[in-house]
Amino acid sequence: MADATLSFWGEVDPVSGKVIGKGHPLEGQSLAGRVLVIRSTRGSSATPMVLNLAKLEGVAPAAFINQEVDSLAALGAIVNGIPMVTDLERSPFEVIRTGDYVVVDATEGMVEIRRAEAQASGGG
Amino acid sequence: MELTPEQRAILEGARGPYLAQCMRWLVEWGEVMGARRLVRCDNTHVLLCVPNLVARGASPRTLETFAEGLKEACRHPVASHCVATVHTLFVTLDPLDVPENDPGQVRVQREIAEMAARAGYLTTFTCAPYLVGNVPLKGEICAWTESSAVVYANSILGARTVRHGNESAIAASLLGVVPEFGVLLDENRRGTLLVEVQAELRHATDWGALGYFTGKIAGLGIPVFDGLRRLSQDEAKQLCAALATSGGVSMFHIAGVTPEAPTLEAAFGGKVPHDRVIFTERDLRDTYASLRNATGDEIEAVILGCPHASLREISRVARWLEGKRVADGVRLWINAARVTRRAHPMRHLPHQHAHGLPAACDRRLQTGPLRAGDDRRGSDRGRHRGLPTRRADREVDGRWLRRSGCVLAAWCEDGRKERRWWPTRRSRSGARWIRSRAR
Repeated sequence: MADATLSFWGEVDPVSGKVIGKGHPLEGQSLAGRVLVIRSTRGSSATPMVLNLAKLEGVAPAAFINQEVDSLAALGAIVNGIPMVTDLERSPFEVIRTGDYVVVDATEGMVEIRRAEAQASGGG
Repeated sequence: MELTPEQRAILEGARGPYLAQCMRWLVEWGEVMGARRLVRCDNTHVLLCVPNLVARGASPRTLETFAEGLKEACRHPVASHCVATVHTLFVTLDPLDVPENDPGQVRVQREIAEMAARAGYLTTFTCAPYLVGNVPLKGEICAWTESSAVVYANSILGARTVRHGNESAIAASLLGVVPEFGVLLDENRRGTLLVEVQAELRHATDWGALGYFTGKIAGLGIPVFDGLRRLSQDEAKQLCAALATSGGVSMFHIAGVTPEAPTLEAAFGGKVPHDRVIFTERDLRDTYASLRNATGDEIEAVILGCPHASLREISRVARWLEGKRVADGVRLWINAARVTRRAHPMRHLPHQHAHGLPAACDRRLQTGPLRAGDDRRGSDRGRHRGLPTRRADREVDGRWLRRSGCVLAAWCEDGRKERRWWPTRRSRSGARWIRSRAR
């Protein structure tokens, strides 16, 4: 989770599922199977392609929670069957913390947060 | 979304499962983006590349599945009323060009290219379709991939296209329709941010710096520039590419210059905002500085043509290179569409062949294979930094580089500026840089 934009083209490695953008707040973190909370994606037309490759490699994000919806991320989510929600009642950056368990229901437009506090320390 | 009976029938499979899936992509995408209908689209620019380099280390099965998806797309003909050009590849298909091409990748890509041509795609393999004959008119509805070309089409040409991905552009090519949202609608083509340009833009890359600066601030919005003169095609290319790189900009206006902004008021649809961002000489300098990450003096490759070089740009390089040669151990690349390369007489370039590749076609810098030693490179494009490749951490963005008195890259008419970014000094090899010597 980061209150930042992310370009899937160039800043995400579709093979490892990790953020590789130099200086990006999520640099080095894996998106595989996780809920990605960012302001929006940005940049390239290749966003759906990178997501497709990541999905085929089994390292695509489990879901997107975005503040602004970038049309290319929306397309990538649709084509690859990855749930995405946006325009939430509260800013996701205020209520979600890295490491939380988040259930994203894009059909209903619901996000359920289960705090990670009960988990062993060192998470997040 | 409201669909015509014919569109609904396609969605339900009347023309087979693949077109049904294409229609589903367009309809679901449109619904998410707030479209109310599908509108006719006669002009597309699609991505049909096998992404081996991006997916280095991926399992063969992933790449096979991906390639099979493209082949499946190419088994269906392009809609008869639609002109469909093709984006760059990750390899060049010309065997003379890049011996480092992975033969397996070339084979698969060639197969897809041949299928695409049979399906009715124009295999231009360029990121700048507007340089090779795909020049939509004002108001023309398009479905283009390549974010920099989208900005160019909307802003400079007055055509209308949202930023497409490969799936949506392929679907639009086959079905001849696109969901109507975003900048396809008048009300979404108005300015959202006023940028007053105080810095003097002397060189084409200065326009790129302005774009990079503005894209970061504008996000997904539409910047309106005030205080700019009429710009050239090369300057427009730079500005568009940079805006699309640092932000998610789909279009901009230049008051008094671009087709939909005869005045500042028109650009904003009436009310000019009070707040404005000012782009000063200092911002220009800072932007350049932020894009440069040179760590040494040695240069191994110089890469021009991202987005693809125009005839005019190649001519300029050719004039610069007349009577000179590229330094030993350095490779000069000019990426251009194959149509452009064929069209250019290259009068001054043939002597380059002995040293490498004067004009590589089909692909572009970010995606093309580089020799193992090509990590230290100079380029003329801020775009390379904004959408970095996996090699980007070692990339050098040094513009207008000269070495050993041999011109490596030849973009600059202004030696003064050059010294500002690359002060005259001795390189490790003892040779002097920079134009002060070349003069």
